[in-house]
Amino acid sequence: MYISENSKVVVQGITGAQGSFHTKLMKEYGTKIVAGVTPKKGGQVLNGIPVFDTIQEAKDATGCDTSIVFVPARFTYVAVREAIKAQIHMTCIITENVPVFDMLRLVELANKEDVHLIGPNCPGILIPDKIKLGIMPDDMCHYGDVAIISKSGTLSYEITKAIGNAGIGVSAYIGIGGDSIRGTTMVEAAQYYNEDPKTKVIVLIGEIGGSEEEETAAFLKSFGKKPVVGYIAGKSAPKGKRMGHAGAIISGDVGTAEGKIKAFKDAGVHIAETPWDVPHIILKIREEL
Amino acid sequence: MSRVRLLEYESKQIFHKFRLPLANSILIETLETIDEKLMQFSFPAIIKSQIAIGGRKKAGLIKVSKTREDAKQLCIDFFQREVEGFHVQAILIESLVDIKQEYYASIALDASSRQFYAIASAEGGIDIEEVAKSDPEKIIKLGFNLDRGLSDILCTKIIKFLNLPEEQQENAINFFHTLWDIAYNTEATLVEVNPLVLSANQGLLALDGKMILDEDADFRQPDTKRLQEKKLSELEKIAKDEGFSFVELSGDVGILANGAGLTLALLDVLTDLDLKPANFLDVGGGASKQRVYAALELLFKMKPKGVLINIYGGITRCDIVAEAIIEALRNSKGLPPIVIRLTGTNEKEGVELLKQAGIDAYENVLEAVNKLKDSLEGK
Repeated sequence: MYISENSKVVVQGITGAQGSFHTKLMKEYGTKIVAGVTPKKGGQVLNGIPVFDTIQEAKDATGCDTSIVFVPARFTYVAVREAIKAQIHMTCIITENVPVFDMLRLVELANKEDVHLIGPNCPGILIPDKIKLGIMPDDMCHYGDVAIISKSGTLSYEITKAIGNAGIGVSAYIGIGGDSIRGTTMVEAAQYYNEDPKTKVIVLIGEIGGSEEEETAAFLKSFGKKPVVGYIAGKSAPKGKRMGHAGAIISGDVGTAEGKIKAFKDAGVHIAETPWDVPHIILKIREEL
Repeated sequence: MSRVRLLEYESKQIFHKFRLPLANSILIETLETIDEKLMQFSFPAIIKSQIAIGGRKKAGLIKVSKTREDAKQLCIDFFQREVEGFHVQAILIESLVDIKQEYYASIALDASSRQFYAIASAEGGIDIEEVAKSDPEKIIKLGFNLDRGLSDILCTKIIKFLNLPEEQQENAINFFHTLWDIAYNTEATLVEVNPLVLSANQGLLALDGKMILDEDADFRQPDTKRLQEKKLSELEKIAKDEGFSFVELSGDVGILANGAGLTLALLDVLTDLDLKPANFLDVGGGASKQRVYAALELLFKMKPKGVLINIYGGITRCDIVAEAIIEALRNSKGLPPIVIRLTGTNEKEGVELLKQAGIDAYENVLEAVNKLKDSLEGK
């Protein structure tokens, strides 16, 4: 989504423990990491990557166009704002616990500046064999034509690995994150891959809480062009207990697993009963195509 | 992200700070000083238990007392009540209000449109979500953006819709502006007054209140942080201090996993196999050794009859998790069967560490789940 093997990546918060560890893994995967940013640490070179004080300096020196953010939650607003202002095309926010008001402001600013955000609290984006912009395990799958869009991190690793083990290739793995206010919504990601010529099948991984699965179902019902497989976690969760990411208010049918599964079914989405059913359903769809 | 719901009295403490008009009240937090407190108040009055459940009136947790003695007895009763695992945390005693008309008023964040809404209805005390479905024409809902805020124009539209008496209109506009001030300044995602009442001689009053705060903003909201810490059970408090999320459930199989979605899916899988989860425990992303250790310790405290550890490392590192498991097992006695599934980032290192300590780990979660089922069934 808005990235490719040619993307030039800058890591914000590259000198922190998570930042440096995952920079190394992304680089090993083949991602073109051209710069790092940590305020007041400009001038260092880490793992062969030059570090700058500001995004603008990094952009001027390296031409970076994509960012990944590992800075602590309370500094995330300032860091991402800087990336947006420097016209970084896509900013992926890994950080968790970013305040809601900060995200509201960042999403609005990104829309105004016509650049893209994904996250916060997300695993990022993987285009297998081409680019890894995130923290997901990178041995899950190879390149192919199935796009995976997920609200959860580890659950989507589980499913992506099962897909990969079944010999099915993946055109993109998109972890949009589980917070209520996020840069890319499930609907937006579904819209993108509904149009993406390289994607033949879409997998949606959702969970109880919020209303995004229902909204995505409404979009697919009217505009869906491709077969879609859906899995929803949380069928056994007792009502009224706050579990999962957003801890959303489960009201009426919106937010419950039953409500989401029903909305998916109404939109013609193939429902997987367990995470491991997903690859079987994809294989069946393929036979029919 | 995490949200915290405030009780009525906590919400009203914030309302009071922002000068939202409220009925006269006293707060009873302990029975020790109750006589003294009640002496300062005149009766009849309404006695409202402060407890984290809905439908307090139906549950008999809100009652009118005619006399001071009656009020004292009610308070003693209320403090002993436990509903759905929740205790009465405090009791709010309020003067009776001569109500002429009830309304509904709230400011709420709508995540899908990423906008705030001012919501109002000329029917108070209602379940707003029910009415929104059954009689949407009875509700006005106006959206606006965080930094533009609730404008005079929107306020005027709401007031017209509510059809308030002429002499109350200016007060009502101020009321809605104040609601927005509260949401904006405390970083709340919900500020609800239900009912908002027009009284015979005190004008508009917020008779009941509810708020939802954003815990992630605590670091710059020192006033509201304090309010959030009282609501957790002992085990949940440990979980919060250590930074993982934990919910107690009714079963007997302990679970530790990483990621909310994966943990939820695991609960579903176990439930399908007739295994009953004792808890939801998501150690969170990038868990430190100390956090995983604390989570295991907490899990063992619950005395489950079996434990499933399921880690798929992304930002979480399998070697760090393995170190914590080894140490926790070494330091605990009389443990139930424990089955471990470890895969993802630094898997090789983690599995090797476990192996050296004589502990098996599975790469496949279904195999791990089946192994646990077998050992619980004595196979």
